[in-house]
Amino acid sequence: MPRRKLIKERVPTPERPVEERVKDFGEVNLGYTFELAQKEAERCIQCPADYAPCIKGCPVHINIPAFIAKIREGDMKGALRVIWNDNVLPAITGRVCPQEDQCEGACVVGKVGDAVDIGKLERFVADYTREKGIDEELFQEMVSNRPERKEKIAVVGAGPAGLTCAGELAKMGYKVTIFEALHKPGGVLMYGIPQFRLPKEILERELDRLKRLGVELRTDHVVGKTITIKELLQEYDAVFIGTGAGTPKLLNIPGILSMRIYSANEFLTRINLMKAYKFPEYDTPVAVGDKIVVIGAGNTAMDAARSALRLGAEVTIAYRRGREDMTARIEEIGHAEEEGVKFEFFLNPIEFISDEEGKVKAVKFMKMRPLEERDSRGKRKIEPTGETVTLEADTVIIAIGLEPNRIITEDCDLETNPDGTFVVDENLMTSTPGVFAGGDAIRGEATVILAMGDGKKAAKSIHEYIQSKKAS
Amino acid sequence: MGSTLKKVSQLLVSKKYLKARASKPGVNKVKHVNKGDACMYRITDKRDLSPIDYFVEVEAPHVAKAWKPGQFVVLMTHEKGERIPMSVYKNDNGRIGMFIRKLGKTSYELYYDFKPGDYIYSFVGPLGKALKIKNYGNVVFASDAVCGQAENYATLRAMKEAGNYTISIQSFENAANVYPEEFLAKPVADEYYLTTDDGSVGMKGHYLDVIKKLIEEDRVDIIFAGGKLGSLAKLAELTRPYGIPTYTTVRQIMVDGTGMCGSCRILYDGKVKFACRDGPMFDAHKVDWEDVLRRDKRFVELEKIAKERYLKSRGVI
Ligand SMILES: Cc1cc2nc3c(=O)[nH]c(=O)nc-3n(C[C@H](O)[C@H](O)[C@H](O)COP(=O)(O)OP(=O)(O)OC[C@H]3O[C@@H](n4cnc5c(N)ncnc54)[C@H](O)[C@@H]3O)c2cc1C
Ligand SMILES: Cc1cc2nc3c(=O)[nH]c(=O)nc-3n(C[C@H](O)[C@H](O)[C@H](O)COP(=O)(O)OP(=O)(O)OC[C@H]3O[C@@H](n4cnc5c(N)ncnc54)[C@H](O)[C@@H]3O)c2cc1C
Ligand code: FES
Repeated sequence: MPRRKLIKERVPTPERPVEERVKDFGEVNLGYTFELAQKEAERCIQCPADYAPCIKGCPVHINIPAFIAKIREGDMKGALRVIWNDNVLPAITGRVCPQEDQCEGACVVGKVGDAVDIGKLERFVADYTREKGIDEELFQEMVSNRPERKEKIAVVGAGPAGLTCAGELAKMGYKVTIFEALHKPGGVLMYGIPQFRLPKEILERELDRLKRLGVELRTDHVVGKTITIKELLQEYDAVFIGTGAGTPKLLNIPGILSMRIYSANEFLTRINLMKAYKFPEYDTPVAVGDKIVVIGAGNTAMDAARSALRLGAEVTIAYRRGREDMTARIEEIGHAEEEGVKFEFFLNPIEFISDEEGKVKAVKFMKMRPLEERDSRGKRKIEPTGETVTLEADTVIIAIGLEPNRIITEDCDLETNPDGTFVVDENLMTSTPGVFAGGDAIRGEATVILAMGDGKKAAKSIHEYIQSKKAS
Repeated sequence: MGSTLKKVSQLLVSKKYLKARASKPGVNKVKHVNKGDACMYRITDKRDLSPIDYFVEVEAPHVAKAWKPGQFVVLMTHEKGERIPMSVYKNDNGRIGMFIRKLGKTSYELYYDFKPGDYIYSFVGPLGKALKIKNYGNVVFASDAVCGQAENYATLRAMKEAGNYTISIQSFENAANVYPEEFLAKPVADEYYLTTDDGSVGMKGHYLDVIKKLIEEDRVDIIFAGGKLGSLAKLAELTRPYGIPTYTTVRQIMVDGTGMCGSCRILYDGKVKFACRDGPMFDAHKVDWEDVLRRDKRFVELEKIAKERYLKSRGVI
């Protein structure tokens, strides 16, 4: 094979202009066209699969060089087949994975130029095959000869972990029922991540497929309240718990009950799930002012900030650490900056100040400074300087993290860690035989790809568990 | 800066955005279509309780099977609707009965646009913590508004079965607002009081007056109460010096009702608690009532827009 010349620069993906996109909730990045995707695919130097750092960097080890090779050949069905082998939600993960910390972070081309845009290529394969109906063909091939099995499985929670687990089990022929607390499935993909990053039609497509696989969906069922794990075990042969980490952490500082202080979850749920941005066409309100401070710098903070911006407000993100410590996807930080979100670093909130009606009017911060020393997660430690600053704000959104919702554990005796996550073994089985768990419910706040991977792995474990029980 | 300007700037959803929205014609005439393979819930009964309140019964076996006194439900009338929490009056035959006050968009809409045989979009529960039902001795339940009236019956029904001496106090503004006999808590009360503010029927006064008297007679072991938040705050102060255990429903604005958003947070014993998950019944003596009263008004301006828009579309106003 002739040596190719290394192309250092990425083929950019088209994006909607800032002034247009901040006025609505439509998707920001438009993705590659076929031609652009092939051009970008050319940049991959095709490391062999046993070496390729990108495969190692991928939490579910997608054979990335192989799918990129298929794009070059123009064999899109082949490309999708390679991806589906390890990841059943490429249209979603292609959009939301923190690629810079995973595949792209490891990419060899990235050592001398821009890493290959693996995320956008993954997304392209998913979008293109969907548009052309190729994904449906492949799907039909994969499910055409599936066996009929009589065992019934209950899946709790319809986020990426639960949906993946349900899909995989249904493909093996099991009868699957999903129990979801909210009135709509999707988990964070539905109520947390906004439309402008992940259009809801993509999720609808996945849900439609599950339905056609015969998966039954029971919304409005809070497991632990409506029905308990014990009751599920009487009716089902195994249970998978994918209840995520949905409970917001709030700051334990004075003024936390002032009005117009939202958790990011409340704010985003009102906007995404309840469509408060279309109030009063939709009934759920969201009251925001003109000057919003968002506390935190993860994906949740970026999503809240950019949603707030789209409601017409001026938005500042205040973070207690420095710029390079922000945990959100780089692309989203870039988008937020482009759209006019302001950033303030080394500010740690110590008090909310409110007016005589109880509405927040300012946030008082302690100024922090970084130390040389790093914490267990490799972030620079910080310490207070003793100096305070006050930022004016008529609305505050707190996005400092989430933890598992403990409602499900109220009525069961599954072993949990102090942070509320479930204790599982290497097969993702909890302390109760036949009950498995995955996703944020075992990891705390993590990622979509890990949740998807857990769902897939748990499906395999459940299959093995049921087969071995039958054998004995 | 004049005061009007200040008023305006305190208005919520950035003004230009709201204005753009409000001027859009056409209210959501939502068809009650089936929600795919998900459940829809049939309304089995609906009746007027008074000029301001009505009774509604919904078929929801999954909730009825598991519901216990103290717990509530969350419903949505249609896909574009709001998730609104409701107390439970009865859970018989797989059906959940509720008392609802015509207050804003959703409660009016359920009243005007839905009749028995129609389906509502979402019905989830039971939510919140169940009350400990056991023999306390003399149990009082006092209520002065719609949710409390439902809980009054539901709670005392269970308390009576558990062997308690049950005392029910139901307060209404005037004779016109008093519910029909069959919806009062009388059948589950060993001792029953009905009061009206103006004395047009029953005793003149409020449940607080009756409780004062009962305390003087030293006949109260535990008090439960629901209804107007202001009265509950007063009740807490009334019983505090006597150390009488007092549990009240702390109504807060909710979204999910399952502990996922913190909309319903209150300060309880100096700590943040979620009313939906840790309540809704709390030890009234530990609740920071001032914040509770304030946070209930978080969205009044927007609620008014939604309500007027709806009532106009119905030709009611
Ligand atoms: C705003 C936001 C932005 C994010 N952005 C990204 C991103 O860009 N990239 C990325 O990789 N990750 C991102 N994440 C993290 C990612 O979304 C999660 O790691 C992922 O969704 C976890 O999936 P899951 O299936 O474990 O749980 P979830 O998605 O949380 O789904 C759990 C589901 O279980 C339901 N449930 C909970 N309790 C019960 C119960 N008792 N009974 C029945 N149902 C129940 C919930 O209603 C929910 O539908 C983001 C998270 C948030 C909040
Ligand atoms: C645990 C609990 C039990 C309740 N039980 C009953 C009951 O049995 N009967 C009854 O009539 N009402 C009950 N409510 C109150 C009921 O939820 C509200 O009256 C209803 O949401 C009003 O909706 P609306 O659109 O008609 O009015 P809106 O105009 O939207 O609101 C009117 C007022 O209702 C309250 N409210 C509005 N939205 C919510 C919300 N999402 N969650 C909670 N309160 C809200 C606020 O005080 C608001 O000012 C209960 C509330 C809680 C929290
Ligand atoms: S209503 Fe969301 S946490 Fe209580």
